[in-house]
Parts: sequence; structure tokens; C-alpha cells
Amino acid sequence: MDYPIREFAVGGGLLIAVVAILHVVVSHFAVGGGLALAVLETAAVRRGDRPMRDLVKRSSTILLLLSTVFGAISGVGIWFTIGVVHPAATSSLIHTFVWAWATEWAFFFLEVVTALAWVATWEKVSPKTHLLLIRLYAFAAFLSLVVIQGILGFMLTPGRFPSTASFFDGFLNPTYLPGVLFRTGVCLALAAAWMAFAALREEDRAARARLSRVLGGVGTLGLAVAAAGWFVWERALPEPVQRLFLGEKPLLAALATGRTHTFRILLVAALLALLVTALPRLQSWPVALLALVACSGVLAGYERVREGVRKPWVIAEQMFSNGVLVTEIDALNEKGILSKAVWATKEAGGREVPTGEAVFRAECSSCHTRDGYLGIRQIASAMDADFAATFLTALRDDGARWKARAAGQDVKPDYPFMPPFVGTDAELEALAGWLASQNAPRTAEVSRAR
Amino acid sequence: MPGETPLPALDPMPIPGPPWLFHALWLVTFAVHVVGVNVVLGSAILGTFASLDRDRAFGRPIARLFAEVSTWAIALTITFGIAPLLFLQVLHGRLFYSATVILAPAWLGLLLVLMAAYYLTYAAKYRLRAGKEAALPLALSALLFLAVAAIQVAVHLLSVQPGRWEAALASPWAAFSDRAFLPRLFHFVLAGVTLAGILLSWLAVRRAPAAEDRATAAARATWGVKIALLATLLQLVVGLWLTISVPRDVLLGLMRGGAATMAPFTLGIAAGFGLLVFLARVRDPIADRSSLRRALELFGLAMLLMLVTRHQLRDVYIDVAKAGAAPATAAQWGVFAIFLVSFVGCAALCVVALRRSATDRPGPGGATA
Repeated sequence: MDYPIREFAVGGGLLIAVVAILHVVVSHFAVGGGLALAVLETAAVRRGDRPMRDLVKRSSTILLLLSTVFGAISGVGIWFTIGVVHPAATSSLIHTFVWAWATEWAFFFLEVVTALAWVATWEKVSPKTHLLLIRLYAFAAFLSLVVIQGILGFMLTPGRFPSTASFFDGFLNPTYLPGVLFRTGVCLALAAAWMAFAALREEDRAARARLSRVLGGVGTLGLAVAAAGWFVWERALPEPVQRLFLGEKPLLAALATGRTHTFRILLVAALLALLVTALPRLQSWPVALLALVACSGVLAGYERVREGVRKPWVIAEQMFSNGVLVTEIDALNEKGILSKAVWATKEAGGREVPTGEAVFRAECSSCHTRDGYLGIRQIASAMDADFAATFLTALRDDGARWKARAAGQDVKPDYPFMPPFVGTDAELEALAGWLASQNAPRTAEVSRAR
Repeated sequence: MPGETPLPALDPMPIPGPPWLFHALWLVTFAVHVVGVNVVLGSAILGTFASLDRDRAFGRPIARLFAEVSTWAIALTITFGIAPLLFLQVLHGRLFYSATVILAPAWLGLLLVLMAAYYLTYAAKYRLRAGKEAALPLALSALLFLAVAAIQVAVHLLSVQPGRWEAALASPWAAFSDRAFLPRLFHFVLAGVTLAGILLSWLAVRRAPAAEDRATAAARATWGVKIALLATLLQLVVGLWLTISVPRDVLLGLMRGGAATMAPFTLGIAAGFGLLVFLARVRDPIADRSSLRRALELFGLAMLLMLVTRHQLRDVYIDVAKAGAAPATAAQWGVFAIFLVSFVGCAALCVVALRRSATDRPGPGGATA
């Protein structure tokens, strides 16, 4: 929050989501591909199964090009993006988990080297050496997932970390294992979906059907594991988080709907996988494409729900999505948000920003854009200054409840998915005035049009 | 004025180890990364020139060699870029994040540029394997890699000079108009060209070529040596330019460091001169392979020493800007041990994998994968 602020027209959250979803689809394929290819190449070597071996070889180039190029760069991309959108949160996570990230990097290093060597040594080395390479790749890729899940889970369910500050309490958090289970299943499903295209390039019809059936089986297994993982994951979430998107009256209806849609997509993906397993001759490019989109949709839907239910936190129970720490609520109410967010008054391009708008930039702009995703002008269109001030006052009152909740008390904030407003009375009035003024140009436009 | 620039507060979370450990890991991993950066940048540039050579029989194999090397080098360079970036964030996160936020469009655009450059290198590699022309993808990838280097240099310079943040926020071009920007960029580029030239020569003559290949190997090695020699000569000029472009306070700060800072700096320059001498001595690269090997070693030495100087210079920049800080420390030795064991284990497995890949060649009739 005390960093320079960069507003994105599409919204910082959406920007992270786009980069992250593109990355996770590819990286999960890279992990699942490693596991599936290691098993399939082993089977091909043991049985002397030429079509299976050719399937593995055809899949290897796409694995290399996707995982070591797109996967590696988009992985760094997530990091770059969260560093720009949430620098304070990134810093906090780095301070807590740098050794975990470094460990993941060590496995990624092995993953890249073995991927390059494996693809480069087709028809050059003995099957034994080639199998060693893909097994090492699968081992490294899977362990990189096992490590990174600890950090991802921590952001939503930090477990006992807030009270103990112990690395292992944070890393082995309540959603760690369910997350690993879900992701492992999706990895297998995505690998099967990607490899289906390579199977379709098999010229022998009988062999093509056999390969499609095998991949259909892998996909079915993966989706079953993913569904089980999701089920356990939801039950591992704390009750206040569950209330946001589960039950008869979820607080975030859009997220509950997103969850329902994701289950439907998972069902479609499972039906397609079962169809191909039972009737492999029906496998075709459109079916394979639909299965790939569906499997990617399952993962994207999960990530959307996982990110969504973290509201209003970026790191649960510690730091709100706008970078305000629970521990600094009182101090900022006294000194003012702009005493810390000094860069909020300086906009890219050199414009000096008035107080109300600066408070918006400091407290709201990490989630709300002006006119795009969660656009503030749309939200504020029904507000006048008094209404906005009343709403902000209620949000400020929530600050004490968030503090009590973080201290372990069973207290429910009035707005459980919004960070509290923090700042002085003058800042509150200034933001309320600015919000109300956002309605004015539109009203004037409508009047002119009439 | 640097003192008036509002710096983000230090992260209240303690860092999970003593600062010296992060400095050491940062330097070591960054050194590996920079070797890769040099290979990638130099290969892209020399590969482009080689593919444009009128003598196709001479140029294309060189371009192909560089494209083949690059696809491996890029993957490893990106991978080894991750670790120093981690350790940098632990030590100077508030400076680094601020610079990346200010230059966000360029910083995030870097990812697309890098990805495009990488895929273009693969395109060039497959085209050259198929016996096709690849000058355009190679040239484009070289330009894009230069852009990546330029963005990295701009972010680095901005991060250590908080006094320039406000101007750069008002206009990003202010970050690129830093006096040290161009010489620093050229310093990197010339190092890359030098390394690529020496590597090309070394690969051509590292084993005594067969009689029928002797002329080709000698021509290739001579071409590489000439380019490396020219680049090293230019490097001396650019090095001087870079030294005088560093702000006076920073340069004085470096000099006041005594032997700790002046020894690596002076020895690095001496290694550069030594490199020049050994490269100039090579008349017949096949007969004088020891000079080429010395040149390669001296390049490595000069690069390492200059990396130490670069690291020290960063600290002086930060001290001059009064942006240094002593963060609280709460070491996580157990987790560090897990990292260390994982890293050593993974590195050992990489060696096993690469050695087996290079040596396991089934004889005639033997099964291959």
C-alpha cells in the first residue's frame, strides 16, 4: 500500500487471473504429462508396443514447448504480475516462504534439464536411459507441485501460522493435502486431454482406438481424483469461508453460481472421458477439443472459486486485498491511510491526485477498476455523498470485528467479503465525496442526451 | 532529492536467514544466470550475422549451431534467473517492487517479448534443421532479447535510485534516459558477443578436426576469435564510458570501499586486458588451442569479478540513496536444509541425466528409445 500504485484498465485482479489461469493449465499439463508419459513409456517398452511409444514421442515435443517455454515464462509472469498488483503481499510471502520457493525452483531446474534431455535423446539412447529421464522429469514436476501447493493453500487457510509464525504450520495448512489431491487429478485429466490430439494422429485405426481408450481411462481416473479432492477441500475450509459460497444462502451468489457451473463442466469432462473409454472410435478432434476445454474449465473454475473465497484477504487473517494489515487498522484510523499510502496522490503520467481519489487508489483500486471489472462508477452510480459516507462508516466499524476475528473470537463482520475502511474522518468524507462525484458526469451525459 | 522520496516501509515479516546467506546465494545463482544471458544474447546476435553471410556453406552451420545451443541456453537461463530474483526480493524487495510497479507496462511486456523471442529461436532451429533460411526469426529474436536486456537494465537502475522514481512515474522514459543505461546495456551485449565468439571458436577446435574438416573448423574458429577480439576492444571503451556515467557519489563510494571493492574491480579490468592479449595472440586456432582455452577462462574470471563489482555497486547506490536497511531476521534453518538437500540432489540428478544422455549410445543392432 505504501508502494507506488499502478491502476490497470482491466483490473489488477483480472490481470492476475488471466496470467495465472493460462499458466496453471499449462503447468498442470506439464506435471500430469510427466506422470502419464512415464507410465505409458514404461508400458510401451515392456510390451514392445510401437503405437504407444509413438504416442509418447509425439506428445513429447508439445510437452517440451509448452512446459519449458510457455510454462516457465508464464510462471515467472504470475510472480511479476502479483509483484506489481500486490507488492506488499508478495514481499510478505517471499519473507515467509522463500526457502519453499527455492526448493520448488530446485525441482523445476531438474524438470527443465530432464525435459530437454528426454526430448533430445529419442532414438539416440537405450530405452532404459530414456525411461530414467522421463521418470526423473515426472518426479521433479510432481514435487514442484507438492511444494507450491503449500504456499497457495496458506494464502487461503493459514492454519495456526498467525499465532505461531511457524513455517510448517503455514505450509502444512488445512487445505494443503486436499489441494494436492485435486491438482493431481486435474494434472492427469489435462495430460490425457492434451495427449488425445497426439493419439488422433495415429494412422492405424485399431491402434488409435486403443490409445484413445487408454487416455480416456487416464482422464476418467484424473477427474475422479479431482472431484474427490474438491470435495475434501471444501470441507477443510473454515466455516466463515464456507458461508461465502456454500449453503442455501451463500453471501457471494456469483461465486456459488461459478462453483455450480464448474461442477457441470467437470461432469461434461467426465462424461466425455467415459465416452471415449467405452467407445474409443468416437474420439475425434471436436471431442478432444471439447474435453480439453472442459478440463481447463474445471481448473479455471476451481482457481476462480479459490481466489474468490479468499475475499477480503490476500493473505488470510493477516493482510487484506488492498495491502492493509490487520495489525495496523487502529494506527491508520488515527493517522490516516494517506500517511502510509503516500504514492496514492501521484499518478502515472504526473497528475496530482485529489484526496478522495487518492484514498480510492490506496484502498479500493487493487480490486475495483474505474469502469471495467468491478467498476466503481457502476457501483457508485446509485450513491450520493451521504449514502457513501454511511456505507464507508459501516465498513470502518467492521475494522474492530476483523481484528477480533483475527484474534480468534467468533465475530462476524457486517461485510465479510470487503476489507474494512481505514482512515480518518476527513479521508472518509473525501472518498464519499469522490464516489458521489463519479455519478455526476454520467448524470450530466444522460441530461445532455435528453 | 533522494532523501525526500517516500520509501515503502520495511516488511514487518522477518527474513528467514542471515543477509550474508542471501547475498551469497544471489551472487552464485546470478553468475550462472549471467553466463546463460551472455550465451543467449551473443548467440542470437552472431547467429543473425552468420545467417546473413553470403557464403551459405559457412554461415548456415554456424547459425544452426547457435540456434541449437540457444534453445537449451534460454531454458536454463530463465530457470537460473528465478533464484537470484527470489533472493533479491528478500533483501531489496521494497526497492525492486517499486521499480517494477513504476515500469509496469514494460516489466509485464517483457514476458511477452521473452516468449516471442524464445519461440522464434525454436522456429529458427527447426527451419535450419530443415535446410531453410532463418535470418528473419533469428534477427527478430536478437532484437527481442535486446529489448529484454534493456528493460532489465532500466528496472535495475531505477530500483537503486529512489530519487528518480517520481520522474519515472510521470514519464517512463526518464528511467531509460539514465546516464548509465546505455553503457550498462552495451556492456552486457558486448560480453554476450565476446562469449559467443570464443565459444564458437572453442567448439570448432576443442578436438583436433579430421583433415577434411580442418579448413572449415579453422575458418569458423578464426571468425569467432575476430568477433570476440573486436567486442573486447569495444568493451574497454564501453567500460570506461560506464565508469564515468555512474553518479559521482556512487563512484566515490565504490572507491572508498578500499581493497574489498577496488580489488575485484581492478582485477576484473586486468582480466579484460588479459583476455584481449590472449585473443590477439591466436593466429592459428587449431594449433593454438591453449590460448583459446585461456581466453575462455579469463572471460569467466573477468565476468565473475565484474559481477562482484556490480553487486557492490548496487549496495553503494542504495547507501547513497539512504535506502538501505537492516531487516529483522528469524532464520528457518530446517527449511533451508530441505532446500539445500533438494538443490544438491536435483543438481546431482541433472548431472546423472546429462551424462547418461551424452554417453549412452547403443551399438549397432542395440535397441534405442
